[in-house]
Amino acid sequence: MKKSAVIMMIILFCSGSMLTVHAEEHYDVYIYDRWDEAVSSQAGYTAERSVSGIDLGTEAFSEPADIFRDKQGQFLIADTKNNRIVITDSELTKTIRILKECTDKNGKRTMLKSPEGIYVSPETEQIYIADYGNERVLVCDPDGNLLIEIIKPETALFSQELPFLPKKVIADKAGNIYIILENITEGAAMFSPDGVFLGFYGANTIEETPARKLEYFWKSLITEQMRSRTARTIPAGITNFDLDQEGFIYTCTQSISQKKDTVKKLNPAGTNLFSSLGTVWGDMESVYDANTNKTYQSMLCDIEISEDGNINCLDLAQGRIFQYDKEGNLLFIFGASGDQLGCFTEVRALESSENQIFVLDSAKNSITIFHETDFGKAVHKAEALYNNGYYEESLMPWYEVLQYDGRYRRAFLGISAGLLVKGEYKDSMKYAKLADSPERYDKAFKCYRSEWLSAHSRILTIMFLLIIGDSILKWHRKRRKQHDGFQ
Amino acid sequence: MMDFNNRQWLNYMMKHPVDGFENMRWKKAGSVKYAIVIILFWFLASIFENRLYGFQFRAEPDKIFNIIPHFVRTILLFLTWTAGNWAVCTLLDGKGTMKQIFIYSAYAMLPYVISIYAEIMLSHILIREEQIVIDMIHLTGISWTALLLFSAVRTMHQYTFRKTLSAICLTVFTMLIILCLLVLLLVLFQQIYNFIFAIYTEIAYRLKV
Repeated sequence: MKKSAVIMMIILFCSGSMLTVHAEEHYDVYIYDRWDEAVSSQAGYTAERSVSGIDLGTEAFSEPADIFRDKQGQFLIADTKNNRIVITDSELTKTIRILKECTDKNGKRTMLKSPEGIYVSPETEQIYIADYGNERVLVCDPDGNLLIEIIKPETALFSQELPFLPKKVIADKAGNIYIILENITEGAAMFSPDGVFLGFYGANTIEETPARKLEYFWKSLITEQMRSRTARTIPAGITNFDLDQEGFIYTCTQSISQKKDTVKKLNPAGTNLFSSLGTVWGDMESVYDANTNKTYQSMLCDIEISEDGNINCLDLAQGRIFQYDKEGNLLFIFGASGDQLGCFTEVRALESSENQIFVLDSAKNSITIFHETDFGKAVHKAEALYNNGYYEESLMPWYEVLQYDGRYRRAFLGISAGLLVKGEYKDSMKYAKLADSPERYDKAFKCYRSEWLSAHSRILTIMFLLIIGDSILKWHRKRRKQHDGFQ
Repeated sequence: MMDFNNRQWLNYMMKHPVDGFENMRWKKAGSVKYAIVIILFWFLASIFENRLYGFQFRAEPDKIFNIIPHFVRTILLFLTWTAGNWAVCTLLDGKGTMKQIFIYSAYAMLPYVISIYAEIMLSHILIREEQIVIDMIHLTGISWTALLLFSAVRTMHQYTFRKTLSAICLTVFTMLIILCLLVLLLVLFQQIYNFIFAIYTEIAYRLKV
C-alpha cells in the first residue's frame, strides 16, 4: 500500500512538474494584471545565446545601430562605427558578405560612413541604407550597385538650414521611401520610388493636457508679435518604424515627455488606427531605482511587427521587450538591464523570426537571440486562433496556457468567449468573472437569461396568471366589502 | 381619524408628499427608533451597492473595500444635515426641534433607500442594454426623496415655499462648513497624537539608555 502511494506521489509530482517552466531568467518575469499592477508570470521567451562580431568570423561590432532580417532569413547589421553593413546567414553563425561601399552607374565607388538604418524590400530585394555620416540615403541592388542616392531635397517644404541626417529608412510595397531624420519632428520624410521628395508622413500629435489647454488660451489672447517670442509646443518626432504584412506602417516614439502616440499604426492616409485603443505601451508607470537614484520610464526605441502580426517594442530605458498581439493586448515582457545573458546595456534594434527574437545592443556590441518557450508557444497558438475568430478552437490552447500561468488574464477572456460560442453560458459567466470583465459577463449573462426564460416559460406564465387572478379576486372582494359597508 | 401605528405612518407619509408630514406633526407621530433603522438600512444599502451589485453593471474593477467612505456618505452626511438644518432653522424662526428634524428627514429618505435595494435586485436580472430601467428607478427614488425632504423641512419649521428653499440652501452651506471643521479637527488630533507619541518615544529611549 505504502509503495503504491509513493509511486502515485512520484507520478503526480512528475505530471505536475512537466508543465512547469523553470525560472532560468536572470530577471523577474512579470506581466500587468487587470488593475495595471505588475504580477509575476511565466517567461514567453528565454535568452538562448548572444552573438558578437567575432563569433560571426569578422571584427567586433562597434556601436551597431540597426538589424534587419530579409525575406531569405539573412541578417543585415548596420555596424555604424565600423562604417559597414554585415550580412550574415539565417542562423547568425557566420558572415556571408560585408558591404562597405556602393558602385554607381559610372563605376565610381562611394564609401559608407556611419550607416544608421538598413532595410531590404521584400518585393524588389533592393537594399536601403540610411548613410548618416554622408547625409544621404542609398538604394542599391543586392550586388551593391547604386540605384538611387537621396540627398537633402531643395524645396521650401524642407527647412534648408537643417542638415539631412537619416536615422532609419523603410520602403512600402509601392516603392515609396520613408526616412526618419534626426532633427525633424514633422514625421518621416516621404520620397517617391525615384527619389523625389513628396512631403512628411505620420507626425505625432500633442497630448491635450489641462496645462496645454490653458497655455493655448493665454496664447490666443496675446498679439502675433508676442506669440512669436513664446516657446512653441512641439510633439516629439518619431524614433523608429516598421511595416506589417498588409502594408501598414507602425511607428514608435522614444520620449520622456510624450505619453500619447508612443506607438501608432498608420494607414496610407496617415491616420493613427491605434488612437482609440487605450493601451499603455511599455511599462505602466515610471519605476524608481534606488541603486542608480534614477526614475525609469519606458522609452520605446524600436518597433517590429512579426510575421503573425504581433507587435514587439523595445524599451531603451530598461532593456525590456514588450510583445503585444495585433489588437494591442500585452502578451509578454522579457529582458532587463544588466550584464548577464538576456540583459542589456543599451538596446538599439530588434528583429523577429517565427519563434525567435533578435535584440541588438550597441554598448555590448552583440546580438542576443531569444527563443520562444513552451508557454510562449501555447499563448501564441491560442491568441492567433482567438484573434482570427476561432473562439471555440482556441479553448483547449487557452486551458493549456492556464496550466502554465494560472492568472494569465487573456486566457480567462479567451475561455469565456470560447464557452459562449459553444453555448455553455454558465461557465462562460464564471470565466468572465475570473477575468474581471463585466462586458464579457454581460454577453454571457444575456444568453444565459434568455435560455433560462425559454426553459421556464411555462411555469413563469402560470405564475404570472395566478398572481393576476389573485389580485383581481382581492380587489373584487374589497369592493364588495365597501359596498356592503355603505348599505 | 389617523390612528396609525408607526408602520402605517411611514406608508401614509410616503404616499402623501404634500400633507403627509403636516398630519404627522398634528398627531405628533414618528419614532426615533424607526428613523435610526432607516438610516442604518441606507448605510447597508450603500455597502450592498458596492458589494452585491450585478457583475455585468460593475463599472470599475474594485480591488479593495473600505467601509469609511460608505459611513461618511450615509450616516455622517445625515447627521451633518440634521445638525446643519437645526443650526440654520433655529436662527430662521423654525418651529422644529432637533429630534423632529432627525425623524422627519430620516422618514423622507425612505423612497431613496428602497430604490437602492430595488436597483440592486434588478441589477441581477437585467443586462446592460436595459440599464435605462435602473436609471429610471434611481431618478424616481431621488426625486421622490427630494420632494419629501422639502415637504419635511417646510412642515416641521412651518415655513413658506420660498423660505424653505433658502433654508435648504443655507443648510447645505452649513454642512460644508461643518465638514471642513471636522477635517480640521481630525488633522489637529492627528498632530496631537504625533506629538504625544514623539514624547513617549523620546522618554522611552532616554529610560533605556
